[in-house]
Amino acid sequence: MTDAADLNHLLASSPFGRFMAIEARVDERGVLVVLPPRDSLIGNTMLPALHGGAIAAFLEIACLMQLAYETDTIAPARTIDFSVEYLRPGRPEITYARAKVRRIGRRVATVHGEAWQRDEATPVCLVQCHFRLPAAAP
Amino acid sequence: MAGDNETGERENNRAVFAPGREGEWSAEQIALMMVPATPYSVALGFRYVSSSPGRGSILLPWREDLVGAAGSGILAPGAVTALIDQTCGLAIMAYVGNLAQPATLDLRIDHLRPARPGASVTAAAHCYKATRTIAFLRSEAWDDSPDDPVATAQAAFTLNRREGA
Repeated sequence: MTDAADLNHLLASSPFGRFMAIEARVDERGVLVVLPPRDSLIGNTMLPALHGGAIAAFLEIACLMQLAYETDTIAPARTIDFSVEYLRPGRPEITYARAKVRRIGRRVATVHGEAWQRDEATPVCLVQCHFRLPAAAP
Repeated sequence: MAGDNETGERENNRAVFAPGREGEWSAEQIALMMVPATPYSVALGFRYVSSSPGRGSILLPWREDLVGAAGSGILAPGAVTALIDQTCGLAIMAYVGNLAQPATLDLRIDHLRPARPGASVTAAAHCYKATRTIAFLRSEAWDDSPDDPVATAQAAFTLNRREGA
């Protein structure tokens, strides 16, 4: 079974994963992905708020992590499309995300993700993604 | 396609970084300042390419630490998402100025194909409709030619325009 160590290894092996400094944890609900705040993630210095692109990139990785966990593989899936909704500005503080794999077909998986900060019940951002699954191992 | 003839038409450094007589920045000044004033865009190495009312274009130069899958040499889709989001913001700013405070409401990106390994990616966005409260945009991103995009996107942004603005 893919565990937190495998997922963090997967993140650390990706240059962009290292750039974002994202951390994965596994608990009874699945994968919890954590984005520590940094000045370089800011998009609006006046509010201030995290860059929407940073939150979206974080959520895409959260979806990939949950997918890797459920399919028990660290072979990378490819993003087909990605739809993101911003509900409120992301404050420059620690951000969390979880994803739900809604369907795994033979070739395509549908994954929904949510990011929040202080309160999981008031998410800052929602995503829906489709991923092309890696070819099944022989 | 948006941005066909925009690339490279304007030099990066011709801005006069001073507000106008009424204390309001011109759309052009805003456009030129936007990338350097956005920390995440600076961190990703974005470079302003061009803008005109309702249109904007930004370059994401290839960088090793922005590659998604180790060894692939392909820029991470997340970096391209951020590029498109920023380019949409630029197109709006170039249209309505900075007082509109655009914020992304939703953004949908189709990743048509992976970028070529080692390739930089350019995005162009077109704000084809803006009301007092919402701006609607289309955007494309490509590596070699705008006629063969790596990603296409559709976005809506909220605006906070004053009466008459």
